[in-house]
Amino acid sequence: MSNVSKVPRRSLFDRLFEPPRIGAMAPGAKIIVYTLLLAWSAFVLFPIYWLLITSVKTAADVNAGPFFIPFVDFTPSLHAWRELFIVDYADTLRAYVNSLIISLAATALAVLVGSMAAYALARIRYQPNLITILIFILTMTAALFAVFSYGVDWRIVLVVGVGIFYFFSKAVASRVKVPLANGDILFWMISQRILAPIVVVVPIYMMFQSVRMLDTHLAIILTYAVVNLPIVIWLMYDFFNSIPKDLEESAQLDGATMIMTFREVVLPLSRAGLAATTLLVMILCWNEYLLALFLSTAKAQTMPILVAAMNAGERGILWWSMSVVIIVMIIPVVFMAIVLQRYISKGVLLGAVKG
Amino acid sequence: MTSTQGRVENRQPGYVPADNSQPPSRRFRFNEWLDGHARQLFITPAVVMILIFSIFPLVASLIIAFSRVRLKAGGYQVRFVGFKNFSKQIFGSEQFHFLGTFTTLTFLGWVVALSASAAILWWMYRYITTGFSIIGFIGRMITAIVGLGIAWMFAGTFFSGNPFGTLGVTLFYVFVGCGVQFIIGLGLAFLCSQPIRGRNFFRVAFFIPMMITPIGVGYVFRMMADTTKGPFSPAWQWFGLNDFAWAANPWTARIFIIIGDSWQWIPFIFIILLAAFENIPRDYVEAGQMDGASNWQIFREISWPQVMPVAVTVMLIRVIEGFKIVDLPNIMTSGGPGIATESMSLHSFFAWRSLDLGQSAAIAYLLLFVTVVICVSFFNLIVVNRMRRI
Amino acid sequence: MKSTCKSLLAGVAAAAVLGTATPTFAGEFDGVTISILTRPGPVIAGRLVDRGKEFTEMTGAEIRVNEVPFAEIFQKLLTDWATGTNSIDVGVFASGWAVELVDGGLVENLDPYIAKDDKIDIDDIAPYFREFNQKIGGNTYLITVDGDFQMLYYRRDILEKIGMEPPKDWDDYMKVAEAMNGMDMNGDGEADYGSCIFKKRNAQSYFAIGSIAAGFTQTKGTGEGLWFDTETMKPKINNAGWAEAFRVYKETGKYGPTDELNQDIGDTRALVQAGRCGLVIDWGDIGPLSIDESGAAIRDKMGAVIMPGSRKVLNPATGELQQCDADLCPHATDGVNHAPYAAFGGWAGAVNAKADQKVKDASYAFLSYMNQAEQSNVDVTLGWTGYNPYRNSQLNDTSKWIEAGFSPEFADNYLGAIKDSLNHPNMASDVRIPGAQQYTGVVLDRELARFLAGEITAEQALANIEAGWEEITDDFGRDTQKQMYKLSLGITN
Repeated sequence: MSNVSKVPRRSLFDRLFEPPRIGAMAPGAKIIVYTLLLAWSAFVLFPIYWLLITSVKTAADVNAGPFFIPFVDFTPSLHAWRELFIVDYADTLRAYVNSLIISLAATALAVLVGSMAAYALARIRYQPNLITILIFILTMTAALFAVFSYGVDWRIVLVVGVGIFYFFSKAVASRVKVPLANGDILFWMISQRILAPIVVVVPIYMMFQSVRMLDTHLAIILTYAVVNLPIVIWLMYDFFNSIPKDLEESAQLDGATMIMTFREVVLPLSRAGLAATTLLVMILCWNEYLLALFLSTAKAQTMPILVAAMNAGERGILWWSMSVVIIVMIIPVVFMAIVLQRYISKGVLLGAVKG
Repeated sequence: MTSTQGRVENRQPGYVPADNSQPPSRRFRFNEWLDGHARQLFITPAVVMILIFSIFPLVASLIIAFSRVRLKAGGYQVRFVGFKNFSKQIFGSEQFHFLGTFTTLTFLGWVVALSASAAILWWMYRYITTGFSIIGFIGRMITAIVGLGIAWMFAGTFFSGNPFGTLGVTLFYVFVGCGVQFIIGLGLAFLCSQPIRGRNFFRVAFFIPMMITPIGVGYVFRMMADTTKGPFSPAWQWFGLNDFAWAANPWTARIFIIIGDSWQWIPFIFIILLAAFENIPRDYVEAGQMDGASNWQIFREISWPQVMPVAVTVMLIRVIEGFKIVDLPNIMTSGGPGIATESMSLHSFFAWRSLDLGQSAAIAYLLLFVTVVICVSFFNLIVVNRMRRI
Repeated sequence: MKSTCKSLLAGVAAAAVLGTATPTFAGEFDGVTISILTRPGPVIAGRLVDRGKEFTEMTGAEIRVNEVPFAEIFQKLLTDWATGTNSIDVGVFASGWAVELVDGGLVENLDPYIAKDDKIDIDDIAPYFREFNQKIGGNTYLITVDGDFQMLYYRRDILEKIGMEPPKDWDDYMKVAEAMNGMDMNGDGEADYGSCIFKKRNAQSYFAIGSIAAGFTQTKGTGEGLWFDTETMKPKINNAGWAEAFRVYKETGKYGPTDELNQDIGDTRALVQAGRCGLVIDWGDIGPLSIDESGAAIRDKMGAVIMPGSRKVLNPATGELQQCDADLCPHATDGVNHAPYAAFGGWAGAVNAKADQKVKDASYAFLSYMNQAEQSNVDVTLGWTGYNPYRNSQLNDTSKWIEAGFSPEFADNYLGAIKDSLNHPNMASDVRIPGAQQYTGVVLDRELARFLAGEITAEQALANIEAGWEEITDDFGRDTQKQMYKLSLGITN
């Protein structure tokens, strides 16, 4: 089978870069591939190794210059771990629990609402009227302008606004119709991801402030869920589209309602897609910093805030404690990844991206 | 909103599922109601959430961008100031911060500005003479204007030896950063898709950086890049770079930030492109080998066309996320030296922190505008074009 | 200075008596939770937590310390209180920031509480902090937990070795820094640095520049004001004095670590503790840090002295730098005009005016507990707390310091430098008006960073700052700002 045996005289270079058989790799290419991959592994893993050893260093070990190998260069000490988990365990635990509650709830909410919308967009034809939407946006802009710039009471504005919207949508929108299609809705929803958090965070902040919900779990959960909704809708839309419709159709012929079909037939079929989406959204929520910084003050502080808090300004950065917090933050994500891994088939993300 | 016949209307009304042995009850009526409104029920929560948390803040933010906002005991005081917040960024006292510092154009500046203008005008001319539609024309006009603005901005700052502002820095992060990430991510995915041992190890190892919180990545790379006590300081000194500080030079500082950003985001590109490579039927590649094609030919002729559509979309996602960069420059350099590493998000964040909400919103809107124009242009002019060609 | 020490022995006695008194309000605040917002880490917050536990045992009030990054504290507090979210009862922050909060009616006036408090011994607090730092417009709104201003530290052993004196002005400083730069100061075989002054953007470099500029521009005493003209509220920044200060600040970088531009104060302190710096500008912290376990390399090797001044100062009439004479620099010593800068002013606690009365009572009691000599005289000697001395009993009695590990010699030297600065008639005050953070923390800091990075010249930077400050002043209202500024300078010692 070997190519090489057929051609007796070849230079060393040729032999190095000639595959021994079809479907295998040439020895030279193999060396190059392994070298590159191992080099990249080193680049990826070294910072993580450095995190691990920094977490067992003392201030003196860190400040006196680089030490690389525990027990050889320096004596590891668990002081940072002890400080975070025994001395100040209450603060650490609070942030950890907050982070868990917030990211689990936000992920659940985003995946539920998002996959429902994605399923609906994949299976039902909607035809919203562009005129109605324009009227809605104009009314809202006017209403907000009245509230912000002229200080009109928001309750009055709400009532008047709803009235105006109702009147115009009846009077105008029922006569002039510019129908949009599912693709437009989908694009609209997915395009929300373009918004940098900084664009919307100030009004969101003011909104939660006016209903006294700042620094609560619910505020952060809702915000995270919405921020990640576009991802869920996008990934799940493609996934639902790839599921053959026969099963659902036969379920419906058997008389199952749409909700039942969704729950009993579609969701189990899309376990892999759900798992991949959940993992992705979970990672994004768990690691988010900027929005949490805006929306939490005391009670609802999450882990990324705790990481930032290890920068103690005048006393420098508490590298050792910070390393502990970062390491501790990686653990649940890895755990999630392992739990969900068997559901994640190779092509889940791929399908959506090909869209 | 109007409604039409959807597929859901095909169900047989009034059918009671076999396992539901209860007599028609309140619960049943509720279920029936639910079922009757399933069309709306499925999509309404998402629409309402997006309206409240995206559209509403977007409009509110626009109003703030046109106002002067002050915190007062018990709430806010908002005063309408027109375009002041925007004009300040583009023509006024914050121009150096947003666009950059302008002096007279140097020769190189003129060359760049004029050639870029000529290229853009030629492109517009060709469009008008070959095919024409109103929407296409307006869209291309916007792209052309933004392109011209950016070209002149770089010509007046970077190519004339002046520092550029947060807009230029953001574009640098997005285009250079994402470019580097794409090339490396693609290369790694290709290597990992080869028939080698230990693929699972590489797959897992390469994915880890994505799991670390971005703010943590910022601090990790500040440790890595520390030239006095970081792990590479001995090497740094061995190279005789004692007197050189990466953080004091605008370009090295920007490059370090891109390295950190790449470390975190290459995994994302890698994992998706790897799946794309693995999706290519092995027969194709083996057929190529049978025909005696070189590795490069196999990659170019067989693998790349299969991977290309995925690659383009991945890049679109990455570019969208890239415009939001804020944590890394904030942690690694606080935007310094000077304003050399400050991205637009960070610029807006700093304005917010000094309680200048109007300016903060104005910068955020400028960011949104640039992002939308560039992403939509990218999508319409490159993605759609390429897709058509294949 | 020694005579002052003796004359104030009475203060020591008072502190000793107080030391034996025990708080008596046990169980008084059962069920009350006090939520405190401050900066992160063991510094400042750490001691609040420790003392909070003691306080809980004594009174039943639970203390919860919330930590946010330094740069976010003010913003968080202002929005929390101004918008009525009120999830924070006590803010512990820079005393200078309080003006804006007080202006909005958000901070509780603590005078009635102090009147009823027999343990705080308010007169023991150094006059500068008592009359100036804690008060706004004549009422006490803050309780000091830390006294802050900047000094110059030097390596005594190295200075002796090269036979030089501690620098008095910035020319001396450069000479000494140049002589020390490149020497191996901690015996690790590596060249160390002559000067360490933090220069990172968005950190605290605007405090260092204030310390340098004050010596060049403020000559007539605290009441002259470092920042604005008290009559017109025009910024006094676009002048030769500040330009010189900018150049000095940049020049110190020549003798410092190469990546000083990216070093925050924490980074320089780490270097100091590792024994790598010859000269350092810092707050009082270096003293206690040098006896800390992590500062073994510099134990008993540091000396402290009043901030360097200048022989040439700004003559406001001509706008030129001019040699000091009796008219121009009435407070000069040996022809050198010193103006020690009360940078930051120190960490102080303020109580939310909107909190429940019970919570306010408990909050005040806790702040008072932190401030009382019995607690604070110990806390200030511990390097890791971040608390620096602010009570007479702390400055005049070296015993607690020696007990903590200072050598008698260094205790004298250290406390002497503090007293020299604190009692200086030309002490320069921080910006203590609404928008303080915008004036210095945003505009000054940004332009300074651009100057240090070589993007613009000192003159351009100063012109930009002037324009930026005028914009802020007009925005807040020139007259009210002027009133506030005058008020903030009203009381000097």
